[in-house]
Amino acid sequence: MMNAADRTRLRHEFEDLLYHEAWLLDNDQLEEWLELFSDTIRYWAPVRGNMEPGREDLSQPHLLAHFDDDKTSLTLRVKRLRTGAAHAEEPRSRIRHFVSNVQILETDGPDRVKVGSNFQVFRSRWEGTEHVFVGCREDWWRRIDTTWKNEERFILLDHNVLENMTVFF
Amino acid sequence: MTDWSHLIDLEKCTVSPRVFVDEEVYRDEQERIFGRCWLYLAHESQLPNPGDFVTCYMGEESVLACRTASGKIRVFLNSCRHRGARMCRLDAGNAKAFTCPYHGWTYDNQGRLIGVPQFKEAYYEELNREDWGLIEVPRVESFRGLIFACFDENAQSLDAYLGDMKWYLDLIFNKTEGGMVALPGLHRWNLGGNWKLAAEQFNGDNYHTGAAHESMLKIGLGPANGQFLGDQPWVRDFEAKLDNGHGWINFKIDMAGGVPAPLAQHMERMQAAARQRLTPAQSELVGCVHVGNVFPNFSILTFLGFLTIRVWHPRGPHNMEVYSWSMIEQEAPPEVVEIARKMQILTFSPSGIFEQDDGEMWGNSVKALRGMHRRNFPLNYQMGAGHGRTDPDKPGLIHPPSTEIGIFGVYERWQALMGGA
Ligand code: FES
Ligand SMILES: [Fe+2]
Repeated sequence: MMNAADRTRLRHEFEDLLYHEAWLLDNDQLEEWLELFSDTIRYWAPVRGNMEPGREDLSQPHLLAHFDDDKTSLTLRVKRLRTGAAHAEEPRSRIRHFVSNVQILETDGPDRVKVGSNFQVFRSRWEGTEHVFVGCREDWWRRIDTTWKNEERFILLDHNVLENMTVFF
Repeated sequence: MTDWSHLIDLEKCTVSPRVFVDEEVYRDEQERIFGRCWLYLAHESQLPNPGDFVTCYMGEESVLACRTASGKIRVFLNSCRHRGARMCRLDAGNAKAFTCPYHGWTYDNQGRLIGVPQFKEAYYEELNREDWGLIEVPRVESFRGLIFACFDENAQSLDAYLGDMKWYLDLIFNKTEGGMVALPGLHRWNLGGNWKLAAEQFNGDNYHTGAAHESMLKIGLGPANGQFLGDQPWVRDFEAKLDNGHGWINFKIDMAGGVPAPLAQHMERMQAAARQRLTPAQSELVGCVHVGNVFPNFSILTFLGFLTIRVWHPRGPHNMEVYSWSMIEQEAPPEVVEIARKMQILTFSPSGIFEQDDGEMWGNSVKALRGMHRRNFPLNYQMGAGHGRTDPDKPGLIHPPSTEIGIFGVYERWQALMGGA
């Protein structure tokens, strides 16, 4: 068990890390952003539906998702944006990430931590098409040597009807 | 009724921009196209048991499709007869009855009004409940598990409506004993653009792939030969203009990065299964890339082991809402389902690296066409006109990619429905 002071210190550490991540995304430092993920990352955002209370089962096999990426496919997405021909991001959208509600949800020894956070992402596309994406994330981070690597990112988007999604969360 | 047939020039193969941007044209389409054509609703695998229901749209109308105790599927407008409230706000479920959230009128899944609060005290038992059942969509028919409905009581049968499209749909939906099943979940998203721009692309636009999807070629997630074209024109690589404004694109490509082994093996097994069930000419085409559209707005695309089927719901002339499901052969082992599912999410979903670029184009067009001056200048659909051929081995008017013979068929059909008669 971790004492309260350690927990707070750890939360601060991840707040810094998540703010840095948001800065990378907002400033088109996507190659550096990819470095935050381990080679075994699962980057996953299941679809949401309108179900009876308690009936939304995000763990059911083969459920559709908005993202279900590994390191290879995430890297492909970034490479594609660099081709100059990814028309839905030409010219690039103006993007701003807001991260809040950072919490240490679970620890597994000193080197594995599950961190929760909420996000709001604003995108202004082209001449004025504006969208806001809202949701939360649950990440499993692992300390390798002295750096934290994200091994699993679960993204829960609070939307049922979405938009053309050219952004990362 | 306004006669809109002058917006299509059959001789010159041109289409007026007003077809895509005009509010009045759009309003008339709701009646004359969405009110008369067979519209896709859901797949039978989504409602296997009595009591199962799904909600979806027919054009702009919210509808409720129910599997009744007898196994029959009935479709109702999802609107209470009292004040019109949306009855069912769930995507899917199982229920014997639906209670309106506003004043509590209750209907069974055959649409009968079976419960009225204060029936005695407030209505003096004078309300004739038989007259106030849910509004039923008169025609519901299926083809290979694909459920369609039609608002027009006198419409031709779904079988006749699909016509020679059935031969091509069988390449996917009738190639194995178990047929296709829907994966859980739905991709649902808003897009700029008129619904016909999406429908016509799936009907027969292979011409866009080089430019719109150039980024895919640049990152090596495309065809090995650098073109979304195969090497057997007319035979395996072709587009087909079909009855009633339907269209089909067919081609075979080798992917630059190859295909994961379990998926390749699965696709071989499926082709072997198809040989037992389909004609030799059909079996040769199984396993190709297939893209098609059933007029007006039901599209399919199968690529790298996955199948996406979707409806481009009209949301005003300048917007649409996409409902897209993912399907796979019932026989596919879980490992293959996961490969195909992830491939679809990566390529054809709201975040899909092909899909994003298509989605950008349709909004792009209507934005530009909206101008009062621009709309006076027609759009060109002349590619390949007059060069199509019939083929004893397969139905339709055939031409290798690229051609707009099939796409223009969408507007020929559109014109036939949008005339003043
Ligand atoms: S609107 Fe449904 S009961 Fe009144
Ligand atoms: Fe495309």
